[in-house]
Amino acid sequence: MSRGRARSLAGLCLLLGIGLAPVPAGAEPSGVTEAFVTAQNADAVDVVDLDGLKRVATIPVPGAPAGIALSPDRARVYVTAPEGKALVVIDAATRRVVQTVALGGGPLGVGVNPVSGAVYVADWYAKRLWQVDPETLAVAGEIPVGTSPSGIAVTPDGKFLLAADRDDDALSLVDTATRRRVAVIPVGTRPFGVTIDPQGKRAYSANVGSNDVSVVDIASRREVGRVKVGERPYAVALAQGRAFVTDQYGGTVSTFGAATLEPGPRIDVGEYPEGIQASPDGRTVYVANWESNTLTAIDAATLRVTGTVKTSDGPRAFGQFLR
Amino acid sequence: MKRIIAAALLAAVAAAPAAQAHGPTRKKVEEKVTINAAPDKVWAVVGNFQDMSWLPPVEKTEGKGGNEVKATRTLTLKGGPTVDEELYKYSAEQKSLSYRINKVDVKVLPVNNYSSTIKVEPAEGGKSEVVWDGAFYRGYMNNDPPPELSDEAAIKAVSGLYRAGLDNLKAKIEKSGS
Repeated sequence: MSRGRARSLAGLCLLLGIGLAPVPAGAEPSGVTEAFVTAQNADAVDVVDLDGLKRVATIPVPGAPAGIALSPDRARVYVTAPEGKALVVIDAATRRVVQTVALGGGPLGVGVNPVSGAVYVADWYAKRLWQVDPETLAVAGEIPVGTSPSGIAVTPDGKFLLAADRDDDALSLVDTATRRRVAVIPVGTRPFGVTIDPQGKRAYSANVGSNDVSVVDIASRREVGRVKVGERPYAVALAQGRAFVTDQYGGTVSTFGAATLEPGPRIDVGEYPEGIQASPDGRTVYVANWESNTLTAIDAATLRVTGTVKTSDGPRAFGQFLR
Repeated sequence: MKRIIAAALLAAVAAAPAAQAHGPTRKKVEEKVTINAAPDKVWAVVGNFQDMSWLPPVEKTEGKGGNEVKATRTLTLKGGPTVDEELYKYSAEQKSLSYRINKVDVKVLPVNNYSSTIKVEPAEGGKSEVVWDGAFYRGYMNNDPPPELSDEAAIKAVSGLYRAGLDNLKAKIEKSGS
């Protein structure tokens, strides 16, 4: 599809009030062109061209890379290396590692503040997030959260972040200005991935233990709905008024209406689907399949698989990976 | 496998409850075998979730639910340890089944959050290929594991188990003739 058409489709979606994925501040709200996919078992990050659905580069990243996020200008890719105990910073254009920030602990989930650019990294083994300064790439501070923090999502205005505290069955709501936890929001059992809608109103956590998704109203700081999905849900993407959820054991993507919470069709993808993200125009949803070593593209309107790309071993892409 | 179990029995580290277990790096293992028999014949053995007698360390399979999703089985291994497993995917058409371990002592098999798929595929000359995939975390779910509960130990144990099982399956089916 041409950029122009992507733009007009995005415009149409806006007119119709259809939910779009979060767009980093200053970024053009049209399509994306590349996926950066952490391939954990291969110690690499793949670059996949999304127009041709082709792997175009493989960047060696030691330390079992898993989590991923992009800087607001999409120039940099931040990758966690749990075994390397580090945050790896990649220059997206040259596809080179520019710096490895030693953190210790168990860095896994990562999120970026779309306004300030601050990088938040969850320490799986401790009840904390690290905040890394995007200019100096030094740890600027720590944020106390709950047990086994995993997924991180930041509101579009950059004022709050949510961390999925997996072993507390709750989300931590953090005021990013003060770096203080201001609320603990109980959700389903063992939330892992968390996604905030483009309006910054609702959050969705994939609850690995209870096989459901919690829908959270951020302003009132409470769960307002719960939707059954497939087995071992991992993460959630939002497009065209629907939620798309990777079911690790199911080998499927479950869908449901974001407003109605009515379950929709389940889409067969590869084995062990994990990282999932919608293109900013809401047209395509991309899924990394850890066991199958593939990236699947789903048409968000027809709910059909439109393409599959071979990746390096063990793609996870846990976080925001579309550029 | 006996050696694996014996070695693992020496490990004195307590198992983390499986439900809490989820470290950052999941491992995968794949083993295959080509069997000189038609896929239907191989599936007749592999596709019975309630009979794991072809896996060498298994002495007894007791379960319920047949081959329906959510069927369970308890494998009793030589020497008495047990493994509780649950079927979560089954396709006779694709000759593929997936199950997970609900309960096993890391001293018996040094893994956590283990899931597995066994598939029978047609191979050249009317033969079959059996592909056994496993996904799991190591036995120690924190940083810096002791050697007997490391990633390497987990991979070695699962690969060894699959290898022993597939080689025995091949011997058993090929010996039984057509």
